[in-house]
Amino acid sequence: MRISSFFYTIGQGIKNLGRNKWYTLASIATIGACLFLFGLFYSIITNFEYIVKTAEEGVSVTVFFNEGVSEEQMLAVKSDLEKRTEVKEIVYVSADDAWEEFKGEYLGEYSDGFTENPLADSANLQIYLNDVSMQPALVTYAESIDVVRKVNRSEVTADTLSGLNKLMAYVSAGIIIILLLVSIFLISNTVTMGIAVRKDEINIMKYIGATDFFVRAPFVVEGIIIGIIGSLIPLVIIYYIYRSAITYVATKFTMLSSLLNFLPVDKIYSNLIPISLAIGIGIGFFGSFITVRRHLHV
Amino acid sequence: MEKGFRKKKSGRQIPEDEVITLEHVTKSYSSGAPALKDVSLHVKKGEFVFIVGDSGSGKSTLIKLLLRELVPTSGEITVLGYNLNRIKHSRIPKFRRKLGIVFQDFRLLKDRNVYENVAFAQRIVQTPTREIKRNVPSILATVNLAGKYKNKINQLSGGEQQRVALARALINKPTILLADEPTGNLDPNNSWEIMNLMEKINENGTTVIVVTHNREIVNAMKKRVITMKKGVIIEDEEEGTYIDED
Ligand SMILES: Nc1ncnc2c1ncn2[C@@H]1O[C@H](COP(=O)(O)OP(=O)(O)O)[C@@H](O)[C@H]1O
Ligand SMILES: [Mg+2]
Repeated sequence: MRISSFFYTIGQGIKNLGRNKWYTLASIATIGACLFLFGLFYSIITNFEYIVKTAEEGVSVTVFFNEGVSEEQMLAVKSDLEKRTEVKEIVYVSADDAWEEFKGEYLGEYSDGFTENPLADSANLQIYLNDVSMQPALVTYAESIDVVRKVNRSEVTADTLSGLNKLMAYVSAGIIIILLLVSIFLISNTVTMGIAVRKDEINIMKYIGATDFFVRAPFVVEGIIIGIIGSLIPLVIIYYIYRSAITYVATKFTMLSSLLNFLPVDKIYSNLIPISLAIGIGIGFFGSFITVRRHLHV
Repeated sequence: MEKGFRKKKSGRQIPEDEVITLEHVTKSYSSGAPALKDVSLHVKKGEFVFIVGDSGSGKSTLIKLLLRELVPTSGEITVLGYNLNRIKHSRIPKFRRKLGIVFQDFRLLKDRNVYENVAFAQRIVQTPTREIKRNVPSILATVNLAGKYKNKINQLSGGEQQRVALARALINKPTILLADEPTGNLDPNNSWEIMNLMEKINENGTTVIVVTHNREIVNAMKKRVITMKKGVIIEDEEEGTYIDED
């Protein structure tokens, strides 16, 4: 392609945007609306996953030992358990550690009266998991070790979290399918509108002897520009919504904000920007590509 | 192979100066009787040919076959050495660049001005901008529109719009000009202006095929006249006349 033809093509693509204002606006609005919903949804899901993950990290299984079990034996159990894949981390809490913690938390200045450690048997292993759904298997295994006296688990929390995770997976799949159907419907309408607007021009071009590539190129340029604008607008809007939402929750529900940890906006955007642009440009590209394709065989 | 002849698969060889060849061409649309029935036609380079006939007699179908918008149901069409039965989709643009096409309804880009409409044809064949800037004013002068190059299409009369369409058809220097009722929407003065321009173009060597209903012009211009009726050529005369229907 000649340089002048290249610039002509780009120029025509840009001019087409103005020539068919309503088509352009409808297309940008369609892509923008889909990506707005996608972006909102993505922010919510990512935060939810983050919150669940943080909560999961707090879930632990505690293993207590029989009386008289030595520290070496306990550490042997620890290294044995560490070999299991679902185990993320094991913290050994000696009896002294446990007592110090207890004192600090509940007794404060009244602890001076104790000369011996009243929690001599409370040395334990705190096991943190990669995957909360594996908790029952781990508990069964730990209970079967002969030096183990008791295994404490946070059954409720673990079940709730893995349940929530599953629910979230279903909900996200459902919403993605609905979004996809809505955007396909809207875009096919805009494309049909585009066909009506372009039909004559494409026919004239073909009569004059335009190659398929030359017919298609300005429309594809136009589609890509629409895609870029259509993805940037919702990104900007969501950016401000997200920031004010975080600030709002942090100031109005201080109790909640200590419980829920929201991701900072740039964490979300480092993924959301490329994903949105890719979807927007993809829709713009294929939308115009397919529209013109149907009219090339004149 | 004899000199001056193009090889053909079967039957008659096509003489080198023959630009349009139809051999036993039939074209049927999905419904009804065929629009063209067993039509054979030969046009030499540099000829000026009128095609006349009732409406529905198959004139537009013939034009569409010539520019490869349609393919024949049977029979062979060769235009400028291209076998239109077998031409590949990717070769059609190159073929069409040798044709200039004018329609009754002008088919201009209404959102662009006169200059842009004519330059459009050169953009499509990727003429350098520098040359386009030289060619467009010159062709607009030929069709007597030099002063109106900045006008929007809807600011022009029908006759002026058809002259823009003619300029667009001519700017890429076609070997054949195909016109389907170019004066169908025009008054007698504008019709004469268009026909005179086409005659001038023909005198410069371009083969011209014009479908028309304009009896007065056909009879005055004394060109070859092909008369069609119900999909068949019923008359083909040098210096012919518009045959009256009884
Ligand atoms: N696209 C089409 N589909 C079906 N029939 C058609 C189509 N175009 C033309 N015809 C029919 O073919 C015949 C010839 O039409 P046409 O070539 O347009 O005639 P003319 O240009 O001489 O008026 C007519 O009977 C017309 O109804
Ligand atoms: Mg017709």
